[in-house]
Amino acid sequence: MTMLGLTRQPGFAMSASIQNPHFLLRRLHSLLGLVPVGAFLIFHLWENSQSRFGATHYNEEVVGALQGLNYLLLLELFVIALPLLFHAGYGLLIIRDGQAEPRRYGYLRNWLYWLQRISGLALILFLLLHVGLTRIAGLFDPSISADLFSHMQQALSQPLVFALYLIGVLLAVFHLANGIATAGIVWGLTSSAEAQRRFGWFCAGFGLLLAALGVHGLLGFLIAPGAGGGA
Amino acid sequence: MQAETRSNAARINEPFAAAAKAPPDHGRETGASRTPDRADAASRTVELRIRRQDGPTTAPYWQSFRLEARPGANIVSLLMDLREHCVTASGEPVDPVAFEHNCMEEVCGACAMLINGVPRPACSALIADLETPIRLEPLPKFPVVRDLMVDRAQLFAQLKRVKAWIRIDGAWDNHERAPRISPQDWAANYLYSRCMSCGCCLAACPQFGPDQAFVGPASLAQVRLMNAHPTGRHDKAERLHAIMADGGLSDCGNAQNCVRVCPKEIPLTTAIGELGRQTTVQALKDLFGGR
Ligand code: HEM
Ligand code: SF4
Ligand code: SF4
Ligand code: FES
Repeated sequence: MTMLGLTRQPGFAMSASIQNPHFLLRRLHSLLGLVPVGAFLIFHLWENSQSRFGATHYNEEVVGALQGLNYLLLLELFVIALPLLFHAGYGLLIIRDGQAEPRRYGYLRNWLYWLQRISGLALILFLLLHVGLTRIAGLFDPSISADLFSHMQQALSQPLVFALYLIGVLLAVFHLANGIATAGIVWGLTSSAEAQRRFGWFCAGFGLLLAALGVHGLLGFLIAPGAGGGA
Repeated sequence: MQAETRSNAARINEPFAAAAKAPPDHGRETGASRTPDRADAASRTVELRIRRQDGPTTAPYWQSFRLEARPGANIVSLLMDLREHCVTASGEPVDPVAFEHNCMEEVCGACAMLINGVPRPACSALIADLETPIRLEPLPKFPVVRDLMVDRAQLFAQLKRVKAWIRIDGAWDNHERAPRISPQDWAANYLYSRCMSCGCCLAACPQFGPDQAFVGPASLAQVRLMNAHPTGRHDKAERLHAIMADGGLSDCGNAQNCVRVCPKEIPLTTAIGELGRQTTVQALKDLFGGR
């Protein structure tokens, strides 16, 4: 028996966490949900909340400024699309492994657990629709990206599209706000039950603010001064 | 007095109330209503609906029973009475209902089952507090042995998997005085030491099940306990590595059902948060070096 054999008894074999990808993948999923995906959502809703300033401001100051960014395609790909794809894809695997019973255990956190999964699934559908109707459609029809304001205004003045966008924005905001609260537990920021509750309310407040910003942005397309497209 | 309406477990920790915060909403009868003076309550006839199963692989079926519940009766004592005279509500004599119990004071965990759909120990479920008809089912997520008896061997396997023990025989000199623990640490650790491996938390956890790899909250709480022990902390990294593998801590989805149903009011979600922090630090050590 070696010296090592004495100190390392059976069952105490080293298995470093970074040699097992499971932990790192889970943390990567959580991290990407926060930054860049979550951070992008906040930025995106803030940018679009400027819709109420009208077509000129929106098309030039908001969309135009972004379209003029260097390396825009690379940024879109590596900061938004790929992180989101990983988060959504790995999220689907996570959802497959759980079985929520919100009716049997009607506690608030259990409902949020269930809603986090439902909203994740719904977001996949919503994002396909949303990205398809704006960014992808713009690739085929340059007039869309040239006047994104009118394009969005026309779309949102249809009640069905507006309802879908409203649901999509609210679900995304919920998913992010609740995700920040659970990420606090996952990363060990909030350890005591009291801290988790306190941070939960903080995230709820943050979610309400962000939801207000998002809904305001949607309404802005309809109430903007000199809005002609839908009329 | 306030303390009289609290459960034993909560009362013991009264001096350290901050560490012994009871879960906020149990959504069911807990110690609060367990007053001992139930003797004056009249006995009543109750209807029992029991999900029975003759063997591990046979199909389950439901049977109804009607029997007199003595004053102060609990589910285990009622099942004992039923065993003496096991006749269904329709008058058919049947095999006695198999169930497990041991301590009769909510410390051994053997009697846990689904009572009206909620996982809890049967010995501390007073008939007087339950809605009738009372539905009894075996604890979910575990293989049924017979009727209300389940095989909880995998709970022990999970404890082994996370190395939930303390090595007192090592290569170092153990002939020292007992290690010192501050009363505050002792009070916090004590909460976790009360786990009786009943499996209620696992039954309620959406991430735990026969087809899922997740170790479950009970074993995670024991990692929290052992890592805080003056001798046990020497193997902290090994335990953390065990819960950073497949089916480890990160499979928790933070539904927090576990802490709501735990009959011993063990702060499982606090353990999960603390382990989140410990694994974050451990991952940094693994990535950048350090012990
Ligand atoms: C598009 C489809 C999406 C799916 C399928 C999805 C799925 C999930 C799932 C299942 C979780 C729970 C992880 C767990 O509890 O272990 C989660 C967490 C999270 N998601 Fe998503 N998500 C999606 C989109 C988004 C979006 C758009 C955002 C940003 C706004 C986001 C941000 C987050 C955050 C911050 C967490 C918390 C991670 C943690 O608890 O550590 N997700 N997501
Ligand atoms: S943590 Fe609580 S519910 Fe889970 S096994 Fe231990 S005593 Fe039972
Ligand atoms: S908090 Fe985690 S361990 Fe507890 S019930 Fe939820 S998923 Fe299971
Ligand atoms: S008989 Fe021991 S907990 Fe119920």
